[in-house]
Amino acid sequence: MERLMPRIMLNFRNVVAGYGDADILSRFNAVVCQGEFVGLIGPNGAGKSTLLKCLSGLLPLKSGEIILEGKDNTTYSQRQRAQMVAVVPQSFDIDYDFSVEDIVLMGRNPYLSFKVKESQYDYDVVTEAMHATKTLQFRKRLFNTLSGGEKQRVIIARAIAQEPDIILLDEPTSALDIHHQIEIMELIRNLNLKKSMTVVAVLHDINLASRYCNRLVLMKNGSVIVDGTPEQVITEENLKKVYDMKMFIQENKLFGKPEIIPLRVIKEAEFYHSLRVHVICGGNNASQILEELEAMGHRVTAGVVNQGSDDWMVCDALGIPMIEERPFTVISNENQAKNMELMKDCDVILISDLPFGHGNVNNLKGLEDLKGTIYFHTNCLNNDFTDGTLTQYLEQIKAKKTVTEISSHEEFVEIIKALTRIDENKE
Amino acid sequence: MKSNIKKYAMFISIVICIVIIYLCTLMGVASISFLDANKILLDQIFHINFGMEDISEGAIAIIWNVRLPRIILAFVTGGALAICGAAYQGIFKNPMADPYILGVSSGAALGASIGIVMNFSSSFLGLNGVALLAFIGSFLTILVVYNISRVGRKVPVATLLLSGIAIGQSLGALMSLLMIFNQDDLSHIMFWTMGSLNGKGWNQVIAVLPYVVFGCVMMLTSVRELDIMLLGEETATQLGVDTESLKKKILFSSSLITAAVVSVTGIIGFVGLIIPHIVRMVTGPKHRTLVPFSFLFGGAFLILCDTIARTVAGQEIPVGIITAAFGGPFFVYLLRKRKKGGM
Repeated sequence: MERLMPRIMLNFRNVVAGYGDADILSRFNAVVCQGEFVGLIGPNGAGKSTLLKCLSGLLPLKSGEIILEGKDNTTYSQRQRAQMVAVVPQSFDIDYDFSVEDIVLMGRNPYLSFKVKESQYDYDVVTEAMHATKTLQFRKRLFNTLSGGEKQRVIIARAIAQEPDIILLDEPTSALDIHHQIEIMELIRNLNLKKSMTVVAVLHDINLASRYCNRLVLMKNGSVIVDGTPEQVITEENLKKVYDMKMFIQENKLFGKPEIIPLRVIKEAEFYHSLRVHVICGGNNASQILEELEAMGHRVTAGVVNQGSDDWMVCDALGIPMIEERPFTVISNENQAKNMELMKDCDVILISDLPFGHGNVNNLKGLEDLKGTIYFHTNCLNNDFTDGTLTQYLEQIKAKKTVTEISSHEEFVEIIKALTRIDENKE
Repeated sequence: MKSNIKKYAMFISIVICIVIIYLCTLMGVASISFLDANKILLDQIFHINFGMEDISEGAIAIIWNVRLPRIILAFVTGGALAICGAAYQGIFKNPMADPYILGVSSGAALGASIGIVMNFSSSFLGLNGVALLAFIGSFLTILVVYNISRVGRKVPVATLLLSGIAIGQSLGALMSLLMIFNQDDLSHIMFWTMGSLNGKGWNQVIAVLPYVVFGCVMMLTSVRELDIMLLGEETATQLGVDTESLKKKILFSSSLITAAVVSVTGIIGFVGLIIPHIVRMVTGPKHRTLVPFSFLFGGAFLILCDTIARTVAGQEIPVGIITAAFGGPFFVYLLRKRKKGGM
């Protein structure tokens, strides 16, 4: 029944904070309830880590307030706060030879005050924390001799030993390899689910955040852009506000969560003259060339593409105009005409690496009447299932026009680059 | 199991220290036989008389009022300097830190120089005028350094160390100036700054002891928090340590101990710097063991150095010279041997 009335653990009200005159956080507002797993995402300098610093009492607020479990955060002593909030930093190194057990035992400090000796209960808590993080087997080893992932597990054990209500993580996985990233995230999720610990984590990896958090707060310039479930937050529209780059959002079928595929940041378009390029594709091999041409700033079109093919998905994501045909269907005369229409004023037409069969060989019909230069990927001949129609069409084209043969898409890109590069010295 | 070894080690160390104190009391330039010296000690400590009739008053005075208090003072001084060094290295997270790093020694030296130049000769609480001025000088220095570095409630460590060095340098310059204008006292001041336990008696032991005991209690009650400080101030704060008040507590108690000790013995270098390092190599960085062992080892080290200082040459050598001359190479040897280093 308690679930119905979630307890508010953290309430940020118009928080303003920063270093010197600069405000890193400007009127940040958010509420975190018990048992939530909140991910703070956003670009560098958005104020995510600063927010954690304010919360752990390292940085005073300029205005606004943070309510921690019902009371103003500034009314707590460090000791009291450390009993409620534990922090796991990005990475943690020490220059001294402490054993793993020493480090975890330090998590008991908030409860020990002037007592110099730890009690049996303290040791029990520490053992339990090391058990939960699978660090018990190397408790006697020196912390410095551990690997990055092991160190991070020890630090999480220390945080557990603090018996906190809230655990703050500041990019806990960014120094780790992919195996240990997942290991740490699973560990944190277990804490969240089994011990109903409230988790607030700064995460750089949007896909990890989307997968593990049940709520995301997207930040920019010290305030909240969107706050909601991963489905609500991870949209192209929201992320475009924050990250200045080309990206592609899709649903990860396995986890049922949205995921981002970052495309590119550098805008190559300004280095090249723009051409009208049509790519005849529809299989699974043209994705990269479509993306590269698009990035170079050419006005790209594609066709005729069967719906559901990889090339179709890429065109859809990149917004490349295309002529579509239903899956596993012979290209209709109507669509073939549309495709011709699209190619009419093209400067360049690429017949990309594509298996040809009776269904799609129509793509090549009538190309000889177009004004654009034609490039042909020779590998098509190795995947020719047309019983001679492909060669027949090719001969027709060659009779009237030059067809430049290429053996790879990279070769084509180089040709186009050479053709369209803006020579800075000339201008 | 491991803590048993530690308890055992502590016991052994204490016994070794007592043996060193005992053996060094027997050694000296005055020719008092082994047997006589033992008789005097038994008589004075346990009031067991083994025939004191043929022992001269002078011999008794040398053993009981000259050698023993001097050795005990050496033990207390060495121990006190070593634990201050250990604590400073902990809260500053800096292996170069020693008890004098915040300018305490320069303040004490300037105070002492003024006392020597002005022939200040009144005494107070067992301290003569020079010592008293040295004490005041060193304590004032700490207050100035602390307040210069304070920003609101916080005392950033880097600022503290730098202003300590700056103030120390300026005070050193003032002292040099005093020496130049008072060439007669030059050698006296020089000797003072090299540190010596020569001519110190029970009065000085009693004068220094309360400060040292007070300081030790303060340090021993902060051992766990000192450990956590080694992880960095930010982490320490997040683990519930009030870093500012811990710094204040350690600064205050260390300064008090150092000021008291320095005012009596002059500036004995090196003990506070290297003893904690050597002990750390053996015991590890935990202050719970580091602090007590530093005290014992620092004390024993200074007794040995002082015994050399008073017996090797025909003339007294300032003990600061011995500590540096022996401690330096020994420390370098240890560093080379254990490259890995537990700094």
